[in-house]
Amino acid sequence: MRLEKCWFCSSTIYPGHGIQYVRNDCKIFRFCRSKCHKNFKMKRNPRKVKWTKAYRKLHGKELTKDTTFEFERRRNRPERYDRNVVQNTLKAIKKIEEVRVSREAKLWENRMKGNKAKQIKEDARELEQGIHLIKAPLAMQEEPGLTLPTKAEKMKVKVSISKQQKEHSMEE
Amino acid sequence: MATRTQFENSSEVGVFSKLTNAYCLVAIGGSENFYSTFEAELADVIPVVKTSIAGTRIIGRLCAGNKNGLLLPNTTTDEELQHLRNSLPDEVVVQRVEERLSALGNCVVCNDHVALIHTDLDRETEELIANVLGVEVFRQTIAGNILVGSYCMFSNRGGLVHPHTSIEDLDELSTLLQVPLVAGTVNRGSEVIGAGMIVNDWTAFCGLDTTATELSVIESVFKLRESQPSAIVDEMKKSLIDTFV
Repeated sequence: MRLEKCWFCSSTIYPGHGIQYVRNDCKIFRFCRSKCHKNFKMKRNPRKVKWTKAYRKLHGKELTKDTTFEFERRRNRPERYDRNVVQNTLKAIKKIEEVRVSREAKLWENRMKGNKAKQIKEDARELEQGIHLIKAPLAMQEEPGLTLPTKAEKMKVKVSISKQQKEHSMEE
Repeated sequence: MATRTQFENSSEVGVFSKLTNAYCLVAIGGSENFYSTFEAELADVIPVVKTSIAGTRIIGRLCAGNKNGLLLPNTTTDEELQHLRNSLPDEVVVQRVEERLSALGNCVVCNDHVALIHTDLDRETEELIANVLGVEVFRQTIAGNILVGSYCMFSNRGGLVHPHTSIEDLDELSTLLQVPLVAGTVNRGSEVIGAGMIVNDWTAFCGLDTTATELSVIESVFKLRESQPSAIVDEMKKSLIDTFV
């Protein structure tokens, strides 16, 4: 039994699922569910719909060219059955899967690299612009912990406070 | 020798089987009768393989091949592909073709050196045919029919084509193929030669309806009588007697 891929979202179609459309030029379109079929009927391009695999691959959000994908492919020239080869292949499948997962994780990490600095920056701006909404400026002067740390020194102070607080809590 | 046979009351034996010089494919039928006919003739020479293609029994019309390779349509399932690979000898290349026209047996007809193909086949398919089957490929029609595989049948020794083929076409085709051709019929006047019979260099099978005349034409054009072991002895006897006299 062959597990085909959905034409629209590229997910696996298991037996008994989905629908298949054959155009009169012999091209077969398989869909995993009515959502994908409806999107196809609306003539949407899977490359422009954000939740599809095609979109994610096109925009560098997932691995596109990888040797691990070479194993899962429709082959037109079969190999003669060999017990040893089959055994080794079955062993290799697990290993290959691990490799693929680790590569994907690496890609995700690389993709998210610049985000932390950006997130801190955005948070800081929000704090700067909106802090007066929850605390009066006079109160802030009295309590330096609420103001924005602008220099490294102040950061250190803040940390030491938190440490002290922790110690207090421990004593209690 | 040409043998008359039948697949489940159908004389179109070319539809349900495929014969080449290196292997023979037979459809999975209700009874063993059809298979046994082939087994009896061929078993000690070439492998006779029971198979389906794309879940159907019309394997002769779906696949094309010679002693070098076997081409299967894109509808062939992975299991069938693997079964054929395991059953056929290693020298035979088994290849699935991504082609719009999936009845390859109707679109391609070949012997071990040359092939005629349907005029609308893809360029890539044409290259694949040339590479896998190791043949020279020509786009041709037979008596105005584009389905070359249905309307003609040839081996390395001779060929039979649609009865309405003109003399000029016959000459042109036989120069292309480098084998002698004859226009004729099988199965009591059926003009679909490819469906009515299968042939290789030393044996042929035709439908049960084939008349004695048709059978004798087939035997003479495919030179089947010469290929019998006794024929060689006869030849030698003749020459020996010649020298004695």
